[in-house]
Amino acid sequence: MNTEELLTKLAECVEFGKVNKAAPFPPAMKGQDGADELAKLAVEMGIKPTDILNEALILAMDKVGDKFTQKKIFVPQMLIAAKAMNAAMAHLVPFFKSGEVKRKGTFIIGTVAGDLHDIGKNLVAMIVEGAGWEVIDLGVDVSAAKFKKCIQDNPTAIVGLSALLTTTMQSMQKIAAEIKAEFPDIKLIVGGAPVTDDFSKEIGATGYSSDPQGAVTLLNSLVA
Amino acid sequence: MNYLFNFEPTELFPDASLLTCNRENVLKSLGMKLTDADDYLLNLIEQLTKECIQLASPKANYLFIENPKFNTTTKETSLNEMLFDTGKTITTLLKKSEFVVLFACTIGQNVEHYSKDEMGKGNSLEGYILDLIGSELAESVTDILHNYLEIKVKEYEMGISNRYSPGYCNWPVSDQHKLFSLLGNYNAGISLTESSLMIPVKSVSGILGVGKSIKRLDYKCRICDDEKCILRHQFKH
Repeated sequence: MNTEELLTKLAECVEFGKVNKAAPFPPAMKGQDGADELAKLAVEMGIKPTDILNEALILAMDKVGDKFTQKKIFVPQMLIAAKAMNAAMAHLVPFFKSGEVKRKGTFIIGTVAGDLHDIGKNLVAMIVEGAGWEVIDLGVDVSAAKFKKCIQDNPTAIVGLSALLTTTMQSMQKIAAEIKAEFPDIKLIVGGAPVTDDFSKEIGATGYSSDPQGAVTLLNSLVA
Repeated sequence: MNYLFNFEPTELFPDASLLTCNRENVLKSLGMKLTDADDYLLNLIEQLTKECIQLASPKANYLFIENPKFNTTTKETSLNEMLFDTGKTITTLLKKSEFVVLFACTIGQNVEHYSKDEMGKGNSLEGYILDLIGSELAESVTDILHNYLEIKVKEYEMGISNRYSPGYCNWPVSDQHKLFSLLGNYNAGISLTESSLMIPVKSVSGILGVGKSIKRLDYKCRICDDEKCILRHQFKH
């Protein structure tokens, strides 16, 4: 298998969620090498880590994000694809640590205080990470203080606030205000089922996205 | 007529085998219809549901409160002299209640721990499905309580309302603290975080109205004017 074939195959494994050889999903790829084995092989073959990242993993996750936006795939396929991407990404960790591969930036994300819903936030985190960003996931029910501490430790990061309940949009507004008061130049994006573009403007957010792929586009535009 | 309701807080421990998980609701939360799901996913949901039912420790606590006062102008409900900011929708729907029932139901923490463990292992699909099944089972415990109370109040020719929870229909989640203060130690073992979230997470608390002119309605979101609510979009009521 040459480099191009290997990266294409690796991208397919991520796109269709073939984690490793032992994984039963997808049934059509049963018994074949998965993202884990192929990424390891790519590194062993001396393929540049940036090529593995850009020409296989990011490419595949872009397709996954687009298909999700177009409702051609659903949450389960996206979660399985992200798992395959993580399996491949594990082989690139040393190159991130050495600085040979650089992230596009750091994204701090969390579901706001009073809200425990995390799937939307998790999907955004996975797709953003798959798009080449370092993601710091603060979890759910995150207070303004916790966001601010993380921003202090990562001053160039972009922050994402998520809320699922209309009643916790107030919490989002309060947290956004507290963050902006202390870090007026911070870039802050918001999302979640009840959140709208108008609401994001009302609370002074830098931007809003209704889906994970839109969040990637927005983030990329903010560092372009 | 003298009512024979027990106004003291009461505990029920429904058998876990009575719990049910609505598979279609799990699929809806995954953004899917039954026809979108393949055998792999359906088998996974079925298998995890069986495991969750074995892990669940269902508990339901409730308290009847007499003489509730509803103010549709201030959109508040007064229970035992304590004011709840129940909002326009809930206050209006409950205003003819002669009693209300406050309740707290849970399936315990085992399912959420299982879900977190799977997430921690990188099995986010399994972890997320477990989380959704846990939510369904918590609703199932609450259904059991709701049905039980409906039969109980029917003996007195009364009806029971739909159930409403802080965090929905514009009822602030912060009112959880008041609700649990009225329930006292009969809280089904649930504690609250500072931000009013329940621990165990797979728990449901709320209010039910009881009265001669109170009915349980089939429809849900049409009674509420919260156009942005996730439930309205998810279930297209």
